[in-house]
Parts: sequence; C-alpha cells; structure tokens
Amino acid sequence: MTDLLRRLMRTPQGAIGLLLLAVLAAACLFGPWLAPHDPEKMDFLGRFRPLGAQNWFGADQFGRDVLSRLLVGARSTLPMALAATLLGTVAGAVVGTASAYLGGRWDEAIMRTIDAVMAVPGLLLALLLVSTLGNGAGNAMIAIAVTFAPGMARVTRAVALTVRGQDYVKSATVRGESASWIIFREMLPNVMAPVVIEATIRVSFAVMLFATLSFLGLGAQPPASEWGLMVAEARQYVHQAPWIIIAPSLAIAMTAIAFNLLGDGLRDAMNPRDER
Amino acid sequence: MTAVLSLRNYTLDYLTGSRPLRVLQDITLDIAPGEVLGLVGESGSGKSTLAWAIMRHLPKNARELSGSIRLGDTDLRSLPPRELTRIRGRRIGMVFQDPSTALNPTLTVGRQVMETLVNNRGLGRREAWDLALELLGHVELRDPEALMRRYPHEISGGEKQRILIATAFGCRPELIVFDEPTTALDVITGARILDLFARLRAETGVAALYISHDLALVSRVADRVAVMKKGQLVEEAPAASIFARPAHEETRKLVAAVPRPENRLVHDRPGDRVLLAAEAVSVRYTRRRLFRPPPPPATRAVGFDIKAGEILGIVGESGSGKSSIARALTGLADFSGGIRFDGRPIGSARDMDGAYRRAVQIVFQHPDGSLNPRQTVGEILSRPLKLFGTGQANLSAEIGRLLEQVRLPAAYATRWPHQLSGGEKQRVAIARAFAARPSLVICDEITAPLDVSVQASIIELLLALRAETGAAYLFITHDINLIRQIAHRIAVMRRGELVDLLPIDAVDADHVHPYTRDLMAASPTPVG
Repeated sequence: MTDLLRRLMRTPQGAIGLLLLAVLAAACLFGPWLAPHDPEKMDFLGRFRPLGAQNWFGADQFGRDVLSRLLVGARSTLPMALAATLLGTVAGAVVGTASAYLGGRWDEAIMRTIDAVMAVPGLLLALLLVSTLGNGAGNAMIAIAVTFAPGMARVTRAVALTVRGQDYVKSATVRGESASWIIFREMLPNVMAPVVIEATIRVSFAVMLFATLSFLGLGAQPPASEWGLMVAEARQYVHQAPWIIIAPSLAIAMTAIAFNLLGDGLRDAMNPRDER
Repeated sequence: MTAVLSLRNYTLDYLTGSRPLRVLQDITLDIAPGEVLGLVGESGSGKSTLAWAIMRHLPKNARELSGSIRLGDTDLRSLPPRELTRIRGRRIGMVFQDPSTALNPTLTVGRQVMETLVNNRGLGRREAWDLALELLGHVELRDPEALMRRYPHEISGGEKQRILIATAFGCRPELIVFDEPTTALDVITGARILDLFARLRAETGVAALYISHDLALVSRVADRVAVMKKGQLVEEAPAASIFARPAHEETRKLVAAVPRPENRLVHDRPGDRVLLAAEAVSVRYTRRRLFRPPPPPATRAVGFDIKAGEILGIVGESGSGKSSIARALTGLADFSGGIRFDGRPIGSARDMDGAYRRAVQIVFQHPDGSLNPRQTVGEILSRPLKLFGTGQANLSAEIGRLLEQVRLPAAYATRWPHQLSGGEKQRVAIARAFAARPSLVICDEITAPLDVSVQASIIELLLALRAETGAAYLFITHDINLIRQIAHRIAVMRRGELVDLLPIDAVDADHVHPYTRDLMAASPTPVG
C-alpha cells in the first residue's frame, strides 16, 4: 500500500490528484472548525455581499457565508458520493466479470437484464428507487449505486472478455479451480485498472446526481449546505450574485478533477509492468 | 556497383530508467543490388531493432549515437519525416512477422493493396486495381477477383502473407525488409511462401534483408548471412559456408541448437501400460443454432492412446485440429466420444475430477499469456500445490524446489512475470504443470515462440523432468525436425482427421500417408 502511494506520488497526475484530495479530506474532517462563520447564520444586511474581507467567497441570498457553507457541506457531499460510487463499482465489476466468465446463456441473461435496466435513464431510475425506498441521504446513496452498477458491469465485462481468453484463466480452469477463485483472483485483478479509472470519473457524476436528487427534494434537505443543493438554490440569483453558484460549482469541479487525476495516476501506479 | 543499403558504424541506445541500454553497437553492413542478406541471432540480439532503424521508425526513447544509414545515395538519417514517408513503401518495403495484424481489418484486401499502389507507384485507381489483380494472380492466389472483395478475417494467414509480399514487391522498391515472415505460419504454408519469395526475387532482382531465427530457412533464401549477438555483428559470410564452417562461437552455438532428426535425444522405450486412450473424440466449437446447419467439427472421431512415460508427437498444419485435441483432453472444449484414463472412462468435461485434473497438465504456447501478470511467480506456483495438496508441508521450500527443478534460482519466487524473459516464463509454466506431479503433460506448441537456443534448453529440461518423474508427453508442434528427435510415435493430423499414427522409425517408410510424406518434405533440412 505504501509502495502504491510512493509510485502514485511519482507521477505528476497522481501527486496533484492526491494534493487536491487532501484538501477535500481536510474539509470533510475539520470543516466545521475551519469555517469562519456559522453556515446557517442569516444576515439580512449582508445579502448578496460580494467577495471580500468579511465573506471571502461572498454571501448568499440570506447573507450566509458561502465559504463556511462549502466547508461544512463537504461532509454531507463527498463521503456519500464516494460510498455510492464504491458500492456501484464493486457490484458492477463483480457482475460484469462473472458474466464474462460464465459466458453463453448466463452471459446473455445477465447482459440483457442489464440492458433493460440501462434503458431507463439514470436519474429516472434513481428517482424511482428513492421514491420507493423513501427520502433521505442514505437511500439516495443506494439509488445512485444501483444506477451506476449496470454501466460498470458493461465496462468490466468488455475487459473481462479479453482476460477470459488468456491462457492463465484457461490454466486455472484446467486445474479445476472454483468459479469464485477464477473470478476474484485470476480475472478481477486484471480488469481493475480500467474499472478504477471509470470509477474515479463517476465520483463526479455521483456528486451531481446527489445534487439533482437534493434539488428535487429527495436527497439532502434545506437548509443543509450540500454542494449540489447549494448550486440548485443559487440558480435563480445567477445574475445578481454569480459567486453563490460559482463557488459550489468550482468545488464540485475540483472534486471531479481530483478524482480524475487520481484515476490517471492509479492506472500507472497499479501497473506492475511500470518500473519507475 | 554501389550498395543498395549501407550502414556504417551505426550505434543505438535505448534510454531506460536509470542508464542507457546499448541495443546496436557499431553495425557496419552492405547489401548489394539483388542480394539477399540473412540476419540471424537470438531474440533480444537487436535484429528487429535494426530493421526498424532502417525503416526509420524508432521508439521515442531511442538515441542514435553515431554512424550512417544510406539507401543508395540517400542518407536516411538526415531525411525529414515528410521525405521519409515517400521513401517507405516506395523505396523500402517491409513484410512483417504476423500477417494477421498487418492488414487493416475494416477495409477489403483489394482496397488496401490498391491504395498502397496508388500511393507508392503514382497510379490511377483503375490501373492500380488491375495491377493488384495481376499481382495477386502472380503470387498463386486462387481467384484474385473474389479475394480482393474480402476482408482480412475472411482469408487465411498464408493468403494474407502472400498478399503482403505481392504488395511489397508490386511497389518495386529497391530493398525489402522481411521480419520473420514465415514464423507465424505452419511448415507447409511457410515452405510455399519461401518458394514464392525465391521466384519473385529471381524475377525482380530486388535486394532484401531477411531476418529470422531459423537458420535452415535463412541458408535457403539468403546469399550472405550475418549473425548478431547482443547488438553486434559477430560474423558475416556466404550462406553456403557459414553454417557448415561457423567461425564465431555464437554461430556455432546457434548451429548446435538446431534440432536434427537423426540426433535422437530419447533412447528408452515407453512402458506397455496405456495411460490415456482417446476413442473417437470429436470436438465441435459453436453451439447448434436454429435454422443454421451445424458447423463442421474441428476434429472428426480421432482415436489414439498414450502409454505411461511415452512421448507422442502430434503434427499438422495450422487448423488441422491439433490444439482442439489438447483442449478436449483438458476439458476446455466440449467433445463427443470418450477418453479412458488409467482405465477409468471419461465421457465429458464433467467427469474430469480432481484426480484427473491433477494427473493431466497442460503447458500453453504463449508464455506471456499463461502466467497471470498480477501474481508473483511464487503465488503462481503455490496454487497447484495448495489445490492438489502435493506439497503442503513447507510451501516456500516446495516452491524453491520447483524453481530449481526447472533450473531457475529460488529467488525468482518473488518476481513478477513481466520481469522474466520468454524462456524463463515458459520454465515457470512448466514448473506449474509439474507442481501437480502429473502423469501426462500436454505441450501445446510450447517451443514455437522461442528462438532456437532457448528452444533447445527447454527441450533438454522437459526430457530431464521426464527422466525424474516418468511423465508422458503429448507434444503438439509443427516443427517436424524437433519432434523426430524426441517422440516415440508421431500422429499426423489434417483437416481434423488423424491420417497417420506411426512409430518414429517408420516416418520415412513407404507405406505412410502421402500427406505425411509432404509434411516431412516441407520441413527444412537442418543446416551444418
């Protein structure tokens, strides 16, 4: 693990990605203590106050400090998005690899089911699931994970199909290894690289999906300072006070970039062939 | 007369990590007009790098330190990329090792040949099409008209290589570089390609650089032969004499490694106990589909037996069903018919229990693909030991013993597959097979991707292991000379059928199948 980290730091993408992620992690862990103001304290004289000494990132329509809201909101945004992606990725990767390994009718059955699920737009599926499971951040996370799993399964299956044709998998089959050994130990490690990269890209989608669900009143509830909810609320004031929307958008973008860079770095670091 | 190609003191480094790696050292060679220079050497000796240096297509980390490469009176090293595009194809042609990847799978064959001719000969499309037809007819391809409308996946490897050769000659270059053009083909197809090469060369008088690790082949096609070792040219002499009277140690080593049928390496006789008997085994790959006639089976009712400790060779051209037999015996392919192992009947892959899977092991052709790149050598070897319980007591000691058994240092247990050479990987794959203490090891063309000297050492290892463990081998190959050295009996396959099953001393007899005789005739006579 330390070895992986060391190799990750050696690539510029990995180093920058880790740095950005460290900033985000600090916001998640120490946000409430770092915040200069109370995120929910309204100040009617300070409505739409531009960037300045008093409010570094400006103030919103109720005069609440945007920076404080961002720092506190990191906690309700990032862990949820991460957990949802992780859950969806793991489920999708296992299903995709298993489908490629089983082949034939099983593959056909699994893949056609996945196609059917994917035919429903992601957001709609998430909405459907949340409305069935009930409102709330936890259920939103499960819904997003379920939405992600079919896509991940497809990506994984494509890679796993080439891996399945490799002689080391045949060799394991001939040896009489169990299906679970072949799927988890022979095939999965060799399909992980593209899956990890796909997953890191999806983290940013997860943030946006959460935002959308929150906007529709199914995820985080106001006055929570979840980033997506902040963007949604600031929409109508975009002409009066663009910073209210820009700040959380930038935070989301930074998250996306950080995870993408990390994904690139990981791809190189996870390749044992890379001798740097 | 000036040389077509001349290299003077050419030196090339690859920048890898900490320090530069010398790949070519002070290479000086000339190819006269109409001459074929054969270039031989072990893998990693720099043969292909030299070809790419001549084609001016070097990787980014290549650093040329000194020397010149001249084509006629053009200095190739000083040409800008735009000029080089005009040289490639037009003045230097190239034919690659693997015809299956040299053609674009999304364009028809005709279109690719035509476009090459349009680009390099400055012809109109119509004329180019007609010329392409003529060229393909000239390389003895049946029905070129229809062939040109097909896509690369619809034609065989031999046909593809013919098309590539026809195109290379059709552009009328001054020099053609051949990088192991027959290695990926089976013996008979390869022999026909060589005849074609000789004929086209006689007709056009083009000069050629012919790279190969097959000495017999090079001595047949080349006028002069150069031997490379670790990036240096160590010997250069006329083809007629170089292998008969090798001067340099490296050449002697290469010649000594060439398998000779009369030089038998196995002298014992196998036991009488039948280890495995295949009865009317036929393998069929695709599922039966509605409304479509079932495809022909890959093998048709093949029957043979292997005695304990015997080496049975299976030979035949590609597509003859050799590997399908291996797949059936290991349960990788569905088959009909039956197998008896040690007297126990096995009707399908489901009947193959742990005991059968332990006793029958397979070593695959490509060492790169047969080892999981995400597992260390130690992990790879520990798996059969754990699974079959053939060495539970002290796992790491057992792994060390296995590695030593295949003549690798025990410290290799912590290495990753990509840190090993092709020969070393194949040794690990062999160690994995022997970890199960098998009584039958199926070797599916295991020496084909390796060069002669590595091949010789792998064969030596297999024979030593056989002497130690008494395992029988089912040795699938298309190298006739090699199999005649080691097999007790040879099975000849053609189009899914077993045409002959002969004891080794009967392969030259009169009563053999005509196809067997063809096959024996097509294998090149060993040099020296």
